[in-house]
Amino acid sequence: MELNELYLPVGLVLPIAVCAIFSALAPRLAGSVARGVAVAGLAAGFSGGALLAARGLADLTGVTAYEARLTIGVFFPLMTFVILAFYGARIGKPSAGWVAVAAIFSSFVLSALVTYGWWKLAPDERAGLTVSAARFQWVQLGNVWITIGVKLDSLTVIMYFMVTLISACIFLFSVGYMAGHSDEVDHQSKYHRFFTYLSLFAFSMLGLVVSSSLLFLFIFWELVGLCSYFLIGFYFDKKYASNAAIKAFVVNRVGDFGFLIGLMLVFFYLQDLDLDRAAENFATAYAKGSGIFAAGNFSLFGIFSASIATWMGVCLFCGAIGKSAQFPLHVWLPDAMAGPTPVSALIHAATMVAAGVYLVARVFRLLTPEAQFFVAVIGCITLTITALIAIVQTDIKKILAYSTLSQLGYMIFAMGIGAWIAALFHLMTHAFFKAMMFLGSGQVIEGTHHEQDIRKFGGLWRKMPWTAVTFFVGVLAIAGVGVPKTNLGIGGFFSKDEILAVAYHRAFHWGETKELEEAAAPGDSPFVLVDAQDQPETPHPALETGPKPRAERGHPAHGPFVSPKAAIIKQMPRLPQWMFWLPIIIAYVTPFYMMRCWYLTFWGKPRDQHVYDHAHESPLMYVPLVILMLGTFFCGWFLFRPLLAHAAEGATDAPAIVAIDGIAEEPAKAQGEWMNVHAAHGAITAWVGFSWVVGIALAILIYFRGLDWAARFVRWPVVRQVHSALVDKLYFDHVYGLVFVNGCIAVAYVSRWIDTYVIDLTYNLSAGITERLAAFTGNVLDAHGVDGFVNGIADFSQNIASAVRRPQTGRIRNYVLFAAAGATIIVLFILYLTRPHEAVAFGQQPPALPTAR
Amino acid sequence: MNIEAWLLTIIVFVPTLGAFFCLLVPRASIRWVAVAATLLTLIASLFCFGMYFQGDGGGQANPFGSSYGHLHYGFRLPWIRGENFTIEYFVGLDGLSFPLLILTTLVSFLACLASWNFDHWTNNRGIRAYFILFLLLETGMLGVFVSLDFFLFYIFWEVMLLPMYFLIGVWGGPRKEYAAIKFFLFTLAGSVLMLVALLAMYFYSADAIRQAMTAQGGGIPSAYRPGVTLTGGTFDLIELSTNLAIQTYFKSDGLLFLETFRFAPTMFMLLFIGFAIKLPSFPFHTWLPDAHVEAPTPISMILAGILLKMGGYGFLRLCYPIFPTGGVFWAYTLAVVAVISILYGALCAMAQSDFKKLVAYSSVSHMGYVLLGVAVMTTTGFQGAMFQMIAHGVSSPMCFFLVGVIYERAHHREINRFGGLWLTMPKYGSMATLGFFASLGLPGLCGFIGEVYVLLGTFQARDKFPWAVPMAILAAAGVILTAGYILWLIQRVYLGREREEYKGFAEATPREMAVLIPFGALAILLGILPDQSLFAFMNGTLDLMLSHIRSMTGIA
Repeated sequence: MELNELYLPVGLVLPIAVCAIFSALAPRLAGSVARGVAVAGLAAGFSGGALLAARGLADLTGVTAYEARLTIGVFFPLMTFVILAFYGARIGKPSAGWVAVAAIFSSFVLSALVTYGWWKLAPDERAGLTVSAARFQWVQLGNVWITIGVKLDSLTVIMYFMVTLISACIFLFSVGYMAGHSDEVDHQSKYHRFFTYLSLFAFSMLGLVVSSSLLFLFIFWELVGLCSYFLIGFYFDKKYASNAAIKAFVVNRVGDFGFLIGLMLVFFYLQDLDLDRAAENFATAYAKGSGIFAAGNFSLFGIFSASIATWMGVCLFCGAIGKSAQFPLHVWLPDAMAGPTPVSALIHAATMVAAGVYLVARVFRLLTPEAQFFVAVIGCITLTITALIAIVQTDIKKILAYSTLSQLGYMIFAMGIGAWIAALFHLMTHAFFKAMMFLGSGQVIEGTHHEQDIRKFGGLWRKMPWTAVTFFVGVLAIAGVGVPKTNLGIGGFFSKDEILAVAYHRAFHWGETKELEEAAAPGDSPFVLVDAQDQPETPHPALETGPKPRAERGHPAHGPFVSPKAAIIKQMPRLPQWMFWLPIIIAYVTPFYMMRCWYLTFWGKPRDQHVYDHAHESPLMYVPLVILMLGTFFCGWFLFRPLLAHAAEGATDAPAIVAIDGIAEEPAKAQGEWMNVHAAHGAITAWVGFSWVVGIALAILIYFRGLDWAARFVRWPVVRQVHSALVDKLYFDHVYGLVFVNGCIAVAYVSRWIDTYVIDLTYNLSAGITERLAAFTGNVLDAHGVDGFVNGIADFSQNIASAVRRPQTGRIRNYVLFAAAGATIIVLFILYLTRPHEAVAFGQQPPALPTAR
Repeated sequence: MNIEAWLLTIIVFVPTLGAFFCLLVPRASIRWVAVAATLLTLIASLFCFGMYFQGDGGGQANPFGSSYGHLHYGFRLPWIRGENFTIEYFVGLDGLSFPLLILTTLVSFLACLASWNFDHWTNNRGIRAYFILFLLLETGMLGVFVSLDFFLFYIFWEVMLLPMYFLIGVWGGPRKEYAAIKFFLFTLAGSVLMLVALLAMYFYSADAIRQAMTAQGGGIPSAYRPGVTLTGGTFDLIELSTNLAIQTYFKSDGLLFLETFRFAPTMFMLLFIGFAIKLPSFPFHTWLPDAHVEAPTPISMILAGILLKMGGYGFLRLCYPIFPTGGVFWAYTLAVVAVISILYGALCAMAQSDFKKLVAYSSVSHMGYVLLGVAVMTTTGFQGAMFQMIAHGVSSPMCFFLVGVIYERAHHREINRFGGLWLTMPKYGSMATLGFFASLGLPGLCGFIGEVYVLLGTFQARDKFPWAVPMAILAAAGVILTAGYILWLIQRVYLGREREEYKGFAEATPREMAVLIPFGALAILLGILPDQSLFAFMNGTLDLMLSHIRSMTGIA
């Protein structure tokens, strides 16, 4: 056996061995230093194992180191899941948590190496790796093989990095958080169970990120939903928790129903479920002017009519509506806060709910302008209504949940207006600051013994300074604090403002002659990321395998031509103006409700002395907070946006729509070695540049005197009605509960009634009638000796009855008779239906057997 | 003796032999004999895997051959000779029957283990009769799946009926007589229709051969047996499907039954109803909830795991290859019935308060996918239907056993009276979650693949059937309802606060885990490696069958 054949098995066994040693050793260790060394050893064992295994995998299968590392990084949390599922209880209370931390840490190490290596590569080397990434066959569907493999591109790399980094922080936080929480249920430790689910989640989420095929994306999509279900319902002895879990799963299933239909459409019309090949086929179909783009050729029950391609995009997007909790399926996310707070931070703020945005980013190449517009509308509605609801919430986690919804709305909206980079960039920055704020809220809730009502907090910064500071950074980040026209700012300053800038462009300057000319000009177009093809007769760039290295693009054109992108831009409509104004208004609302939350919690006078006295914070929990705070600061400045900008080149190579980003006063910067804040803010400074000042100031002004002024304000006539509507979450839950839940249950009971009293009763009745008939024939006719023939039949049936009869029930005869009668009726019925030369009422037309096609 | 030729016969009759031994041994060892017999059958059936790995005679690399009707372990003996007909003892295995054969032996073995600790056994009531009937039932089921002579098939079909009737009627719950008779009569009604079809098919095939002989002069060569000529009617299912003379005659539009009715659609429907009752499909499903509720746990496992599959197997073995034009004729009706089964079954399941009834209605819903998959007559649909059958054959016995485990402890099945069982019995709770999520069709578990294949297959039929897309969409909506009732069930039974009255419940015993773990492992395996674990063993045959159907109907 060669040495390199040993890498994989050794790499897989090593963590298990280290884990066994650790769990045997840990309980006996005294002193924090010894424990720290043990944990470090555990993490080192896992990381070393992961590196070895990745190398072994690369040798064994011939995939590149990038793919091997990403793959192993996916499977290590799965390994922990299996270990914890079977031995978690035995591994015991703190150790089980550390094992999970070690596994996700090893994934993080791998991903950091991948990201570093990827960062160092030249763009065309990256493109080459993307094209050559391996695919393995899984099952054959019809004559198409469903393949499995790593979708290796900049988006995967950076998303993977973000997920592992934030997961590692939150896992670490959870070790501290669950130390106090795990016994809450039934006084049995559910500690290991928590980390079991978390590990399964990490596996599923990373799997989702690396999937190269839509089907696998869907499979992992469902798995993250499952983990979400388990973790929302973690305190499942509480009714509200299990209700919230069911709500989350079922609402997601509604979205997945659409996703599934989208998959069918993709499979049927694009003949593949692989993301890249489906996109290629889409481009081919578009270039050929295939029927799937004909307007209104696909209508559902004749009601909604649009082109098949549009339906495909809309149906796929339905999945995102469910998972990213967009209107009208946004109702599950606030309830999902029933889960432990680290879960809210990881799953319901940073990673899983962002998967919907990721999905849209992945299927961007399959969208049509109509589908894209639909995406934008949904995003715009979501970001508006949820931000408004957030204003009146009093539960600290609910405020964060609604703010997450609103920010997800921004991302989806951004996808819908073609701001591909900005959407994902916002996803990244949001993941950092929102995870940080959620963990901060967890710290508050934990420190105040499960108080979540911000009206009872106040002045907590004295008791928990670290939390107050990090939370405040989060507020600044979500508010988009920064100085316009400079690079000084954090979080949303870069990402959200870029979205708004694109919206501004789409609403006011879209398709202007000057820009069309520029787009038509050879070389880099100012705002279209994927530039025009240099040879007009080539149908479409996406037809060629994979994105071409950038060097080959942008050759000077040989003569004048019209860029296909320019043609697309001409066809795409301007954004309606309300879709620009709503996000702008909400950009003012966001700083207000977040500052309100922070101010009422940490500033001012304590409003509940009891809560205040209890408050404290623990170091195990604020270390991750600080890491995330650093992430919040830095993610706007380096690594993330350039990689996303690079990813955009291949991932938005769409035939029907265009991706636009970083509006274009400085084209060189638009493509993003450095974020293009100048340009973005140049366009919209007047609108949102200082929205954060206004929002934050307004919050301080209103809550300066505690809750009094706000309470007074709410009593004003119109305000009161609006306020109560918002408090009731605009009645979505009421209506859904009444119409869908109760409606469905009502239909279910009606079905049950039909089953018992119509279908079954028909059988029983026919049996009864036969019995009467038999009694009549047997007793009356036979007794009077009228008809020997009928008599014979009755005798016959009685004979069978006694043959069958073992238990004496007296109903056997009816059943035998019923069987005979029923069979006769059925035979007659079939014979009736299969008569020739007549239109058949029930079945399809008798086939005029078609000739072979 | 050529062991390969006898292998299937051995598999089918080992349980009968076991039943015979059960007569002889003392009471205390009966269970051991039964377990040994089912285990032996299981092991023997595993030898059939050999057909994929060795040439089996001709040394062919492709285990599926080049046309439909390529058999392994085939064995035929003239059994009943009449003046102008021969009924054969004809058994054989191909990609269609093989997965079901393995499923049968596996589920039977596990159901036998599940019968170990019956309430009845404490006073030794009926233990001997129970296991004898159980083993005879297994013989009947195995016979149905391996026999390829229609007459033999029919006999095994009836053989399986009677033990089942007694197993429900004697060892069942409070309304056992009602349920048993209902089961018996529903199936019997189906059999009557099948018998009509059997006779008609024989005589019409005789006509077909006679006509062809007049035209050609001389015997008609068999479609798949070199050197054999036909001179009269036949019960041979493969011959009936593949012989061109018979097929051309059967599908001709002018051919009438009883001089009035078109032959192929009529025959198709007669057979179809017989199998649809077994499936069971709306509106013939009402025997199923009653039978399940009253049947003892192991019998429910058999019923859900295997008996229902006979319906689907019947479609694939008889209806479609022999009367492909009938399939086209009825496709719309069948699809409508299938979609109604899916949605209506799920809705009924949602409204149930009896645990077992809920699982029973969920079977109606899940088997609706099988019907939909075959109704649209596409490769993917057929594959999905087969996969769904196997997946349901794994998940539903598991669910029924899960119900049985708590029924044994609580002696009731009222869903609303349970709660918090996951806390009381953590291991059992985890297995229950696995089982019910497999049934829900969670990706990564077995239920998902079948559903997706059926839905895609339905969608694929869009070119030939304009109604296929709405059907696929309606059927896909079933996944929402399924999630609803399964999660609601899990919430009411397993989640929530621990209840006082169930605190004393013992965790699942090793024997119970031994039943649950194979099911759970298979559910995961089928979900993760569907190709290697199942499709590889059957797709070849399904493809060949489909190309045969295509060539007969001219429909893609």
